Amino acid sequence: MEAAFNLAFWLVRSRADAEDIVQEAYLRAFRAFDGFRGGDMRPWLLAIVRNTAYRWLSNRRRSGTVISLEEAFAEGSGQSADDIASDEPTAEERLIGAAERDYVLRALAELPPAFREVLVLREIEGLAYREIAEVTGAPVGTVMSRLSRGRGELRKVLTRLMGKDEPNAM
Amino acid sequence: MQCERVRELLSPYLDGELSAEERRQVAAHLEECHSCSAQLSDFRRVGQTLAEAGREPAPKALTARVRGNLARAAHAEPPPTAALIPKPPSAGAVALRRGLLRQAAVIAAACVLSALATWLATSSLGQQHRLEQDVLAAHVRSLLQDSPIQVASSDAHTVKPWFAGRIDFSPEVKDLASEGFPLVGGRLDYVGGRRVGAVVYKRRLHIVNVFMWPSASLGDVAPLLVTRNGYNLLTWRRGGVDYWAVSDLNAGDLAQLQALL
Repeated sequence: MEAAFNLAFWLVRSRADAEDIVQEAYLRAFRAFDGFRGGDMRPWLLAIVRNTAYRWLSNRRRSGTVISLEEAFAEGSGQSADDIASDEPTAEERLIGAAERDYVLRALAELPPAFREVLVLREIEGLAYREIAEVTGAPVGTVMSRLSRGRGELRKVLTRLMGKDEPNAM
Repeated sequence: MQCERVRELLSPYLDGELSAEERRQVAAHLEECHSCSAQLSDFRRVGQTLAEAGREPAPKALTARVRGNLARAAHAEPPPTAALIPKPPSAGAVALRRGLLRQAAVIAAACVLSALATWLATSSLGQQHRLEQDVLAAHVRSLLQDSPIQVASSDAHTVKPWFAGRIDFSPEVKDLASEGFPLVGGRLDYVGGRRVGAVVYKRRLHIVNVFMWPSASLGDVAPLLVTRNGYNLLTWRRGGVDYWAVSDLNAGDLAQLQALL
């Protein structure tokens, strides 16, 4: 459930919409049990979440409503820095960690969905290439090149974002 | 290896998705090339930051909402599979080993059922569904075994006494051969955390398992049909006994059997 919500959130970048998508996706999964051919259930379920999110995105494009990034983030993560920090870092370390995390998340949000989804599935969910291929319906080779390009793009955007706000950052 | 080629392999190198030979070559290059290893450490650092940031936390109420939806959906007839569901892998080699694969599919279905059962078990709404899954799993289990019965007899007066001393009540056993439901036999099974009686009937080539156990509550309950994974489950309560009839038989025939019992 957590993984499903996370993927939906990163694809549509809205908590409220991600919630609707997860609900719809679980209903679809439930009704399509016959279509499930065994194996690990998670990639199968995430594939349904992904397809539901993409369909939702294309509907939204057609209806012409576009949510800005600022908006998505204003309503976004309610998680505070303190929730995540572990190993009892000092206040200063925590501040730096939180700032960097903020940049990385903003940079990720700027990437095209095809890069965003493979990065989320790899870095946050820790899926293997084979599993990511199953979720995205793309060959493993494509997953590999998208991750490679996605990481490169992420690094570029990050450098730009950090350079703009704070020239000595990286 | 050239830098250009190494840059292409940095990402799969980091993810442990390279062959041993490629991994060795990339590692050798990284030893010597500062710029490539700097890029790798950037990739690694950003990846760690993402992993530490973790998932966007799901709203607390979402799980309950999804369970509620599923519980309601479980009572509705499942609609045809939507186009959004990924297609199962192509059936190339299936024809060769169809028999084996079919058996594997049934076992897989049972695994999925137990996964779903675990998932639903945590909610109170899920209790009825857990029972459905249990009953269905018991039915599938009986089909996977060599024989679905422990006492084989078409005679109700042989099957009924067999249960005495094995379970704490005397189950309803009828010989319905003349109505087209010949009695096959009986066995013990385990459903909803208790030992239950299972009486097996046949309808043409279809096996019907009728599970029964003393009910926790009094008062009769009219038959309710649930369809799961292509199986029909009919449940009712009569005379303080809970009944579950499960089969791949059509709903009409199953209802006919219910009326006869």
